[in-house]
Amino acid sequence: MTNLPEAGNLSRRSFLKKSSLVPITTVLAGLRSEKARADAFADDVNVAVIGFGSWGREVAATLERIPEVRLAAIVDTYSVMLTRAERSFPDAATYEDYRAVLDDASISTVLIATPTHLHHQIAIEALDAGKHVYVEAPMASTVEDARAMARAARDATDQIYQVGLLSRSHPNYRSVFQFIRSGALGKATMARAQWHAKESWRRASPNREREIAQNWRLDSDVSTGLIGEIGTHQIDPAMWFLAARPVSVAGFGQIMLWDDGRNVPDTIQTVFEFDNGVHMLYDATLTSSFDAAYDVYNGRDSSIMFRDNRAWMFKEVDAPLLGWEVYARKDNFYKETGIALVADATQLDAQDVDPTEDDPNLETPLWYALREFIDNHAFGPYPPSAGYEEGYRAAVVAVKAHEATMNNERIEYDDALFEI
Amino acid sequence: MVTVRLARMAMACRFELVLQGEHEPWLRAAGEEALREIERLEQMLSIFRPGSDVSRINARAAREPVRVNPTVFKWLEEAQRLHRQTGGAFDLTIAPLMQAWGFYEDGGCLPDAAELAAARRCTGMNLVELDTANRTVAFQREGMRLDFGAIGKGLAVDEAISILREAGVERAFLHGGTSTMYGLGRPFDEPGWKVVVPYPDRPAEPVGVVTLVDESLSVSAVWGKSFEAEGRTLGHVLDPVKGRPVQGAVLAAVVDPSGTVADAVSTALLVRGSPFENSAIRSLVIVVDDESDTYSILDAGLSADDHAVTRSAHS
Repeated sequence: MTNLPEAGNLSRRSFLKKSSLVPITTVLAGLRSEKARADAFADDVNVAVIGFGSWGREVAATLERIPEVRLAAIVDTYSVMLTRAERSFPDAATYEDYRAVLDDASISTVLIATPTHLHHQIAIEALDAGKHVYVEAPMASTVEDARAMARAARDATDQIYQVGLLSRSHPNYRSVFQFIRSGALGKATMARAQWHAKESWRRASPNREREIAQNWRLDSDVSTGLIGEIGTHQIDPAMWFLAARPVSVAGFGQIMLWDDGRNVPDTIQTVFEFDNGVHMLYDATLTSSFDAAYDVYNGRDSSIMFRDNRAWMFKEVDAPLLGWEVYARKDNFYKETGIALVADATQLDAQDVDPTEDDPNLETPLWYALREFIDNHAFGPYPPSAGYEEGYRAAVVAVKAHEATMNNERIEYDDALFEI
Repeated sequence: MVTVRLARMAMACRFELVLQGEHEPWLRAAGEEALREIERLEQMLSIFRPGSDVSRINARAAREPVRVNPTVFKWLEEAQRLHRQTGGAFDLTIAPLMQAWGFYEDGGCLPDAAELAAARRCTGMNLVELDTANRTVAFQREGMRLDFGAIGKGLAVDEAISILREAGVERAFLHGGTSTMYGLGRPFDEPGWKVVVPYPDRPAEPVGVVTLVDESLSVSAVWGKSFEAEGRTLGHVLDPVKGRPVQGAVLAAVVDPSGTVADAVSTALLVRGSPFENSAIRSLVIVVDDESDTYSILDAGLSADDHAVTRSAHS
């Protein structure tokens, strides 16, 4: 690890030639010591957060906890948000126009948390200005925008481009990924995920014009709907775990409760058919909070469920004995017993933390994603776990699925759609 | 004029929000954002969520200074200030004591003597080091842990109310589990948001009626989690200095423009057993005398206009 700072001078292309598969795991595993990590950064990374809505604020708050980051600027077009920014982050400059940040040579990096349909222009200009870019998922609201962004990211070989598909950086997801790939499900047969909440999804503002802008999620001209704004984060892990891509999606959408003039459904159901034959059901609603959000992967030998970024395995009676599950923590879900799948169980043991308890070192999903993004500044650029390819694929899937729910139709994903 | 009511479970209680205004979807949208803010605070403050800001501090601050975001740092400074102002009666470092007395389990239990002694050694906000320049928090002793329980609802109410104000809401009432509440503006056709603090043994009868206009009321009581031992009832409010459940005072109510202050001070008054004298804070404390089975109401201007401490006994 001592020669790591030099790795910062490698271009992505030359790095790829040397090793294309191992980068993230090896780098992160070697960085258990904060000191070693801090030494690898020549200077703090000067960043700007563009878009200071509720998620932008979360991004800023999380960045503030990463020691090698200096939150230099916050951008939002709405003065109330900038007042909030000044209150919460007094050391950061505030701007109404993101171009001020792009023109500032001292800022190397931007994180884009604006409404989805505004990502495209900012991301492309930021890449053009030589900035490293972290953009929220879905990365765009149309296939054309997403493709243009992916191309720009692909061509900017010495810049980092990471998409906020959070599960890709999360240790529990990464651990289950390996677990599934090593055959824990037996044969994967089905997947199902849901997101249930009771809220109108509307935003209020004292300013009428501002209110229209703030309610982009309810505007069918620009919104990617529930499947895009929420479902993306649950469909993407399925593509990753199952190493599969949808070939079609059937969608249904209804306005069942919040009939307040909107035309974006408050309730949706979708069926994805993957290229390996597995089908995935996904439903989301803003009308009922019952059973909240979870994801289930069914297989011949076991099923794996995610809830709140934690995972449990439910074994079939006729499944082979794995051995370790005898000692694992178990949680009851009605009549089923789930075996907790804990990332880094042996590491926890080494730190004197009982792997049967919740991991006190656990960070938020956003923290892991941003930690990976910032580490890339010192050690990369290497391909992020959610780079332009993963981001583009997820955006295409979401945009088309949203179209399906808007029109109650079945849409096929042509191979050409996925070509960057 | 329409009235919209919203509710959300957070911080182990039900938050309820009433909004009044012209346009229902708009009021609901503003209210939902305020309630989301409360959920966000819970994510940050909960000691039962491993990923929360407070859990991270608790896990690491005895080993090394832990960097926190500016909001959490501001709260810690506020908590330190309230600790000083209440003479140590409000103390964030109460977690090991809560644990020793079993109040993180079901109903509490008498602590093991050694465990209690250990918990008392690592209780005290003075053992928390805040480094403003680096925005870090560090514990001076191993085993220390923070619990925002006595201030969390107050912080949540204040943040939620500021969201409502920013959105342009002019009339609203918010409470968390009926213990910390805030009246924003005035209800339509009323001079203020009227809240009744009932007698402990006569729920229908008010010991005080408080009219809130742009201010908060917080009520702390020893009932709730409690257990019987040594011939008396021991409740979940602990005296951080004595290291044991509060005796005597059973209920304290405080009115202040800040929900955070009202929340912290209402807990501190239970510990103290009487209102602060010569204080601008309006409060009321109910103290039980176990011997005579009577209680006294020490009212420092909570429901009256004068702030003098009055005493009256009831059987």
